[in-house]
Amino acid sequence: MTAPVDPGLQVERTSLAWTRTGLALALAGAVVTRLTVDRLGAVAVTLGLIAVVCAVAMAALAGVRYRRATASLRHSGTLPNDGTVLALASASALAVGTAAAVFVVWGMLGA
Amino acid sequence: MSSGRASGGNGDSVDDEGSDENQGSDGGRSRFPRRVYAVGNEPDPRFSLANERTFLAWLRTSLALVAAGVALEALGFPQSAGFRGAAAFVFIALGLAAAGRAWFGWMATESAMRRNSPLPAPAVGFLLVIGIATGVLLVAFGLIL
Repeated sequence: MTAPVDPGLQVERTSLAWTRTGLALALAGAVVTRLTVDRLGAVAVTLGLIAVVCAVAMAALAGVRYRRATASLRHSGTLPNDGTVLALASASALAVGTAAAVFVVWGMLGA
Repeated sequence: MSSGRASGGNGDSVDDEGSDENQGSDGGRSRFPRRVYAVGNEPDPRFSLANERTFLAWLRTSLALVAAGVALEALGFPQSAGFRGAAAFVFIALGLAAAGRAWFGWMATESAMRRNSPLPAPAVGFLLVIGIATGVLLVAFGLIL
C-alpha cells in the first residue's frame, strides 16, 4: 500500500478518464455495429472488432500511464508523458468520423 | 522498489549531450510533438493531467456525436431522407471537429502552460452549441414536415 502522489488524485482521475473513454468507445462500437450490420455485414463486424480492440488498448493504457506517471512523479516530480498516444487516439477518432460520413453519404446516394 | 525508472545509471559518460535546462530526468528522449515540448518549462504535473482529461472528454464527445449521426441514418429517423441525411451529416461533422479540437486544443493548452501564457479560448465550444442546435432542429423539422 502506497499513498497517492497527489492529494487531489490527479493521476487516478486521469486513469479513470482513460478507462471511461475506452468504455465509451466499446459501447459506441457495439451500438454502431448492431445498427449497421444489416446493411454492411462483415464490414460492420470488422469495424466493431477494431473498436473493441482499441477500447481494450485504452483500458490497458490507463494502467500503464498510471504506473509510469506515479513512478516518475515520485522519482523526479515530473510527468513522463508526451503527446504520441493522444495523437494516435485523435487520429483514430477522425478515422471513425470519416467512415461514418462515408456511410451516411453512401446511404443518401445509394438507398 | 523494483519498478523504478532505470534512468539513474547513466552518470558515467554522458557529456553535455544537449539541453538539460528544464528536465534533466527525461533521459534525453525527445517528446512528441516537438512544437509543444521544445519551448517553455515543465508545467505543474496536475495541470498537464487536467489537460489530458480535457482531451479525453473531447474524444468522448466526438464519439457520441458520430454515434448519434450514424444512429439517425441507420434507424431511419426521421423518415424524411433529406432532413435525416442533413442532421446525420451535421452530427458527424461536429464529431470530426471535436476530434480535431481534442488534439489541437490539447497542444495549444499544453504549449500555453509551458510558456506561462494565458490559456486559449474554447473556440470550438460555440461551434458545437450552434451545430447541435441545428442538428436537433433538422430532426424536429423532419418529424413535423
